[in-house]
Amino acid sequence: MSLWRWKKRDAELDEEVRSHLEMAAQERVERGEKKEDAEHGARREFGNVGLVEEITRDGWGWRWPRELADDVRYGMRTLLKSPGFTAVVVLTLALGIGANTAIFTLIDAVMLRSLPVANPRQLYRLGDNNSCCVMVGTQEGGSFVLYSYALYENLRDHTPEFSELAAFEPWTSDLSVRRNGSAAEPFKGEFVSANYFNTLGVRAFAGRLLAPPDDSASAPRVAVMNYHTWQQRFGLDPSVIGSTLNINGVPCAIAGVTPPGFYGDTLRSDPPDFWLPLAADPEKWRLPNAAVEWLYLVGRLKSGFAPEPVQARLTVELQEWLSSHREVIPDQDRKDIPRQYIRLTAAAGGVEKLRTDYETGLHLLVTLSALLLLIACANVANLLLARGSANRAQMAVRLALGAARSRLIRQMLTESLLLAIAGGLAGLYVAYAGAHAILLLAFRGASYVPIDARPSLPVLGLSILLSLMTGIVFGILPAWTASQADPLDALRGAGRSTGDRASVLQKSLVVAQVAFSIALLIAAGLVTQSLRNLEGQHFGFVTDGRLIVNIAPSLSGYTPDKLDGLYQRLEETMPQIPGVLSASLSWYSPLGGNNANERVYIQGKAPDYRCTAPSWDRVGPHYFETIGTRLLRGRVIEERDRPGGLNVAVINETFARRFFPNEDPIGQHFGMTDVSHSGDYEIVGIVEDAKYQDTRGPAYATFFLPLLQTPPGESFRGWVGAIELHVAGRPENIESAVRKALADADPSLPVLNMMSFDEQVARNFNQERLIARLTELFGALALILACVGLYGVTAYAVARRTNEIGIRVALGADRANVLGLVLRAALTQLGLGLAIGIPAALAGGHLLAHQLYGVKSYDPTILGAAALVLAACAILAASIPARRATRVDPIVALRYE
Amino acid sequence: MADKKARYQNRIELLQGTLDLLILQTLQWGSQHGYGISVAIRNRSGELLQVDTGSLYPALHRLEKQKWIRAEWRISENKQRAKFYQLTAAGKKQLTRERSKWSQLSDAIAGVLQPEE
Repeated sequence: MSLWRWKKRDAELDEEVRSHLEMAAQERVERGEKKEDAEHGARREFGNVGLVEEITRDGWGWRWPRELADDVRYGMRTLLKSPGFTAVVVLTLALGIGANTAIFTLIDAVMLRSLPVANPRQLYRLGDNNSCCVMVGTQEGGSFVLYSYALYENLRDHTPEFSELAAFEPWTSDLSVRRNGSAAEPFKGEFVSANYFNTLGVRAFAGRLLAPPDDSASAPRVAVMNYHTWQQRFGLDPSVIGSTLNINGVPCAIAGVTPPGFYGDTLRSDPPDFWLPLAADPEKWRLPNAAVEWLYLVGRLKSGFAPEPVQARLTVELQEWLSSHREVIPDQDRKDIPRQYIRLTAAAGGVEKLRTDYETGLHLLVTLSALLLLIACANVANLLLARGSANRAQMAVRLALGAARSRLIRQMLTESLLLAIAGGLAGLYVAYAGAHAILLLAFRGASYVPIDARPSLPVLGLSILLSLMTGIVFGILPAWTASQADPLDALRGAGRSTGDRASVLQKSLVVAQVAFSIALLIAAGLVTQSLRNLEGQHFGFVTDGRLIVNIAPSLSGYTPDKLDGLYQRLEETMPQIPGVLSASLSWYSPLGGNNANERVYIQGKAPDYRCTAPSWDRVGPHYFETIGTRLLRGRVIEERDRPGGLNVAVINETFARRFFPNEDPIGQHFGMTDVSHSGDYEIVGIVEDAKYQDTRGPAYATFFLPLLQTPPGESFRGWVGAIELHVAGRPENIESAVRKALADADPSLPVLNMMSFDEQVARNFNQERLIARLTELFGALALILACVGLYGVTAYAVARRTNEIGIRVALGADRANVLGLVLRAALTQLGLGLAIGIPAALAGGHLLAHQLYGVKSYDPTILGAAALVLAACAILAASIPARRATRVDPIVALRYE
Repeated sequence: MADKKARYQNRIELLQGTLDLLILQTLQWGSQHGYGISVAIRNRSGELLQVDTGSLYPALHRLEKQKWIRAEWRISENKQRAKFYQLTAAGKKQLTRERSKWSQLSDAIAGVLQPEE
């Protein structure tokens, strides 16, 4: 039945009753009664009009939805009548629900969502961790994750349980792409086996994807474009498909476009713009070398096969292959072959890189946002309780007039559900904006993150459920207490009763809020301090006034013999840019995401295979002075350290301590590859330790070699990828000058990216910063909510005790007495909250402990500061109504009510 | 209050059959509005039967829903707009049924109450 027909029927019933009353009254007048008496008499005779109408309406059926509609209408009217209250409640809920929905959205996208491919559950990855990037020999803990191309072919051809088995790079490669002779632009690419798209079950959106013939070295070069790239960089131009682009100096036909939403095998920021066959890998040394392990494998298991037996079979295949390939495992490691194994892990979500990276962070955020929601609920419950108490007299009147208690509870619950739904809807907006902001924070520096900030349907459902649950949780107590009103109160004057149940509840809610808030504030203090420690630590280099430019000469068709000329040109032109104090070249720069390590053989010492291989980098002259790493002894790498000269190396302190514990390293020799090379490099200097990869642990043992020196018998590796510039003033100011100088040096050389050293380092702390900022935000919100709660309860208590205070003042209490009376209650709640919250925070602190850097989870300064801030804000909040109490005029107070 | 409402409902239950019969019988003499029905019952019963409005209106609406009576808005003799109820064909049959049920019931009760001879 429609609402409109109900209304009409209601109106008719009203009129029917009215006409009854009028006729009855008229008859009484005719019998000689006075008009007024007649009307009263008719009414008395008729009985309770509202009740008669209600019982009559009950007979109509549809009672439940009709009453619901009534409740909703009535609820809306009451809520709109107190817009301030409604706005505060909706805003509070929007923040609580929004924060949780935003975090759910990210969890859904990062941890739960499957790849947008056919039957993702059939996909399994060969390997159980995210080791990267290029390895030789046995792998960490025996679990194989990275595979050589030869091993891949062997597994692919001998494991019939897989309908397809694909290989791909674990990372994205920089590509230099030129269209019709225009300047080179940097893009991201991934080199994959030609059956990659078949394995994943992805069909072309336009054109075709890769097919097995593309794997052969003689096949014409093709590439597949990401839909997002086609849309953003090529304007969905259909003529791009089938056209030829120059990729890394080689003409390459664009075979087709992947479907929208497809981002590859790994959810990550800046996914590949192009997929190219492995045969096109510019680093030619990797593909044919059975000893170089550099590929991840993902297979599609045929239906009916369980992963466990396949895993056992793969392990056998792996061990047999390793045994039969003597060049892969060095003799001293052959005893470890039986310990090598392959573990299949479900790859429905692809390679779980983000999940691994962000799991702990997201779990922490879920906990914190749930805490925030609880605080918000407590706050709203408190507001409702206060309002319910204010409406107590009205409730009592309604009960006295015959309203059913259950009906009143339902009415109030409807009201809180309305509030919750409004809060939830507003929360969706908060969630969208929040998730968007979180993505920006989490992927600082990324130009595209394939994660949608809009909540998905399941997340939407979850947040609606959350809103409704919230509504019931914060609504049921106030509804219950309000419905307990005694009808007699209405006659007695409800304002005078003291010590009712509602106020005890309100106080406990404030205590809970204070407890939750102090826990959040302590967490915020800890992660903020930890981030500050991380960012402010001594890295072993100086980031102020430094600019890092990343280039890739290998993508512009350079061959090793032409590098010398390029390096000399760069070393000449860079220092001439106005504002540049010093410039240098290196393979890679600190904390830029790159790190190479290699086993070394020290001359005159037995090889030690147990310790981890030291890191190494190639650096040019002025490198250490440009990045601000101090020379401790000897000399740095200079202009004279060129091919043909003495092959030299500079080592860091840790390298010196590890390999030369009790002797002078200067003048000692070492080499790479094997023992016969141990005389290759002479150590000429020691520099201070600097962190290149891991920001939390100690610096790795590291050695530095000149840019181009390669001893006889060694293959050349380590092309210059970074230019470091020490500049006067802001590094960003000279970016255009640097671009111009580079273009002058070689127009085909693409600048992959350029940023201040500060920014490069800052990007290492994206997750820490995300957690710190969100926790700070949550902490601040919690603080505000707790103070609002305390203010509300105190203000309510003052209003309720106006009489009492008036009497006390009349009997001689002074301002201090009154202030003390009010504040004592507030301080008790604050103290109780702190007494519960601080131990709880300490107990929960160990969850945080392993994420903290340079600060203990029980840091007394932070604990004290958090407690102090909360106490100060809370006292301030309580003192406003307390001061009002001191101004109570006893005469006015006694007349009150 | 809850128990007040329950009292009304008890009374409806107690009177249900009888009240329906009284209403239908009253309407047998012509269409009438709620107030008119209550007055008619009171007068004809010699002021003995006072029909409670809390029972009368639900009963009227129930009988209307069962299509034994139908309602229309008309102007009363006092120039007032009022909702007049009127017996339908089905209502007439129902009245006959109710009447015979009632006379059976009252005969039966009379039989039970008759002093033994």
